[in-house]
Amino acid sequence: MGTDRGNATKRDWGTIPRRTFLKGAAAVAGAASLGGIPGIVAAGQAPAYPKGTKLHLLTRINFIPAGDTLFIAQAEEFGRQMGVEVQVERIGENDVTTRSTAAIVAKSGPDIIMFQNNFPHLLANGLADVSDLAEALGKEQGGYWDLSRANAYVGKKWLAVPYGCLSNTMNYREDWLKEAGFSKFPDTYEELREVGKKLKSMGHPVGQCFGHSVNDPNSWCYPFVWAYGGYEVEKDGKTVALDKKGTLEALKLNTAMWKDMFDEGGLSWDDASNNRAFLAGSISITNNGASIYFVGKDKFPDIAKVTNHAPNPRGPAGRYYHLATHSSAVMKYSKNQKLAKEFIRWYMDKKQYEPWFVAMSSYMIPPTKVWFDHPAWTKDPKLTPFRDSIKDARHLGYAGPPGAKASEALAKYIMVDMFAKAIQGTPPEESLKWATAELKKIYSA
Amino acid sequence: MAAVAGAWWKRWVFLYLPLGAFVIVTLFPFYYMAVTSLRPDREMYIPWNRPNFAPFWTLKPTLEHFALLFRETLFARWLLNTLIISVLSTGIALFCGLLAAYALARLRFPLGGTLGTSIFVTYLVPQTLLFIPLGEVIRSFRLSDSLWALILTYPTFLIPFCTWLMMGYFRTIPKELEECAQIDGATRVQAMVRIVFPVAMPGILSAAIFAFTHAWNEFIYALVFLSSATNKTIPVGVVSELVRGDTFFWGPLMAGALLGSVPVAFIYSFFVENYVSAMTGAVKG
Amino acid sequence: MAASGTRVSSLRPSRPGSPLASGLRRLRQATATERREWRFALVLLMPAIVMIGTFVAYPFVRGIWLSLTDTVVGREGEFVGFQNFAKLWDDSIFRRAAQNTVLYTAAATLLKLTVGMVVALMLNNLLGFKRILRASMLLPWIVPTVLSTLAWKWMLDPTFSILNWVLFQLGLIRFRVDWLGGPVMALWSVILVNVWRGTPFFAITLLAGLQTISPEVYEAASIDGANAWQRFWTVTWPLLMPVTMVVMLFSVIQTFADFQLVYILTGGGPANSTHLFATYAYQVGVATGKLGEGAAASLAMFPVLFMVVLFQLWYIRRGEGGVKKRGA
Repeated sequence: MGTDRGNATKRDWGTIPRRTFLKGAAAVAGAASLGGIPGIVAAGQAPAYPKGTKLHLLTRINFIPAGDTLFIAQAEEFGRQMGVEVQVERIGENDVTTRSTAAIVAKSGPDIIMFQNNFPHLLANGLADVSDLAEALGKEQGGYWDLSRANAYVGKKWLAVPYGCLSNTMNYREDWLKEAGFSKFPDTYEELREVGKKLKSMGHPVGQCFGHSVNDPNSWCYPFVWAYGGYEVEKDGKTVALDKKGTLEALKLNTAMWKDMFDEGGLSWDDASNNRAFLAGSISITNNGASIYFVGKDKFPDIAKVTNHAPNPRGPAGRYYHLATHSSAVMKYSKNQKLAKEFIRWYMDKKQYEPWFVAMSSYMIPPTKVWFDHPAWTKDPKLTPFRDSIKDARHLGYAGPPGAKASEALAKYIMVDMFAKAIQGTPPEESLKWATAELKKIYSA
Repeated sequence: MAAVAGAWWKRWVFLYLPLGAFVIVTLFPFYYMAVTSLRPDREMYIPWNRPNFAPFWTLKPTLEHFALLFRETLFARWLLNTLIISVLSTGIALFCGLLAAYALARLRFPLGGTLGTSIFVTYLVPQTLLFIPLGEVIRSFRLSDSLWALILTYPTFLIPFCTWLMMGYFRTIPKELEECAQIDGATRVQAMVRIVFPVAMPGILSAAIFAFTHAWNEFIYALVFLSSATNKTIPVGVVSELVRGDTFFWGPLMAGALLGSVPVAFIYSFFVENYVSAMTGAVKG
Repeated sequence: MAASGTRVSSLRPSRPGSPLASGLRRLRQATATERREWRFALVLLMPAIVMIGTFVAYPFVRGIWLSLTDTVVGREGEFVGFQNFAKLWDDSIFRRAAQNTVLYTAAATLLKLTVGMVVALMLNNLLGFKRILRASMLLPWIVPTVLSTLAWKWMLDPTFSILNWVLFQLGLIRFRVDWLGGPVMALWSVILVNVWRGTPFFAITLLAGLQTISPEVYEAASIDGANAWQRFWTVTWPLLMPVTMVVMLFSVIQTFADFQLVYILTGGGPANSTHLFATYAYQVGVATGKLGEGAAASLAMFPVLFMVVLFQLWYIRRGEGGVKKRGA
């Protein structure tokens, strides 16, 4: 089942045995084969769990169905070996937040929840300490990337086990780039502006979302500001520093780019709009994950053939990425914390994680460094740029420590709205002032 | 002759054309949904300013989206769940609302006005707030991940309207009806059940339509209180399974939308006459 | 039930003033038959009270409590009085959301009323196709909001909008309209979708009201020389007023608390130009985990809604009281 999705021509859904799909991940409880010891349990002996124990994991539904199918199958396998029932529930990303809020308040719900970004900081009071597990995995797998660690390590302990990062880079049309007379993808934001201008004049604008959407707008706005030396808050985590020089420059440049190179529908876009527009041949360049390429290979092969990926543009202060991390957290209210940790250990272990990673075809970057040289990354050279993004990834709320306040700023779309307002006509200085004031309100609370 | 001719075109300009326009605007999105659900994926993403943009039809209709909906998602199960939840919660709401409406409309007692208003005021509390503390209630009743969680919480926003509607209808029924029955020896309860309720049937039906629709449509409680894959309702299930991150599966999505509404409309068409005449009655009072 | 003649006066409040006070007074002065009636009434009301009490009262009280604390998800908060509300008042985004909500509700309700009324009038005059027309017109109301809104999202997407295509083909626009992108346009697009979804409810209900007006009243008016326009304003409108108020009451409440539509179409953007109370409350409470502030934002709508509701209830009761006196 863990086939490389990269070259499949049929959507994987059709190959799922219906029984598996329908049963979700409810393993056949009962035949507790205590003889089959899961080899990864550190203690070396499978503890017996009472019959009828249920483990419930909540996560976002995966863009790549093959990844989900494999994960569910692995969960079933774990359940079989441990003699418990494992339920894997998948819902939309935004809905995970709704459910987790209700669960924490009601003190009951899923045992494990996979969170995005720095939610572990936000929900710190509801999560169990998983330091032993996270440290062990980190040691085994070459250490964590900074971003993965930043979002899961709260205060002095690990409140979640990093699972992976959603990568994103610049997706672009090679054929149109060539047509416009450029041999390689622009390196800096200024160069991008020139290239984009030419492309827009040919009827192929650059696409970028500036609406209220969780991933794409933030993946553009935060790195843009960082690349020009701006950042939200000082190292002390309290002093708002957004109104320093770098931010204004980035803001002004983006506003100029709006007319020059952007598809001006971008204000009403959401995360999926740029995917659609790219696959429809309406835009030439956009910042996105690998989802465009995969859907392209599946349904729009002509476009996939001429699609390639390049690193984010560089600014005077460097090249940065905002990546969405995913981490598995064990909920404090859970009555199966030990079992939950064992389950996490199970699916994070190389034996289970590797096939999943391959099935995901580099859509997600593993959280630990040992995977950097994995051959799957170079199998399709077009996908290699996604791997490199983790090196330049920065956490939200830079330069302060990652924390709940950065989450709040993200949830309120302050960065994105700052850019959106400037595009809509507010003078950049004013827009910056508004954003700074909003940040101050958040950070002074 | 001139008068008839005038009337003829008048009918068209002031009646048929505007009505036709309204029907088109109202139903056009459904037509669009239908076309999208039959459109093959390759044709899905054509920008509007391309010459081959064909919004109103597709030359290669396909049933693969419908097939996918039933094969790869648990749509049939969700349909059943939503039906069960809607029917039962409507039933409960009607039961509570009917009795309450009778009491408030027919019986004279102090605090009647206040109670009536306070039942109604609970309607004002937004569900986007209630769902958080309500989760605690659901947990303490051990209803988590059970259809009963919804069957018992939906009436909270269905009862107020049902009560109100049926109150209005009851007021139109003359008191003599009950008084005659009681003179003939019937008890209060018998008079209520055997005489008044049957006469109020249209009102009950109209309240049922309203309640059913709202239960059918509800999203946030269904999202929060249910979790197993087999225990989802249509709105939650369809959106969860077919909106994956930044990719929407438009074909099956629209297929789900159609299948989740057209059958209900079909059933309603048999009751709409009753609904109209019931509202007539409710309104006369 | 004809009780002792003097008791009939208890049907009218003997003094203007709090109905609660007069109610309590009557409780003390009851007769045996009256007490029986009240017990019966109480029994009938029990199911409703139990359902609502269990599942609304406690959460509501808890919600109010939340709004007065600084609760954050996972951590019990402390009482902070009206601090959350003060914070909201200071919050520019909240003020924008408040403004948007008022505009959204007012515009959408007026449009739904107008279009609904026109359609009802037309349907009233139509002879054939009644059933199928009425059933199909209810479709926008029946289809789950989530799904129909997604369809609208597709229809309003700047790259794929069929509306743009139609308008362009008709020669009415030369450049595409960014339905959900312009600061003002976005809110009006959202209002448009709300009107599409809600008009059927108005139309069908007003139609019912229209059918109670007997043709003789119209004939009398035309004999007096009134034309169609005048007939509407002097006959139809006043007679429809009770229905109109009831429908508007429920519509206003629902539109004011609208969440799914905006959440799916724009998420409150761009730049907060379509945020409503409910979507902002959700963003503050759930997305940032600040339950106290989120609860405060949710409840901020309550006083306004309450006033609107009280006003309409009073208006309706006034109408009913008049009818009762005449018909008695």
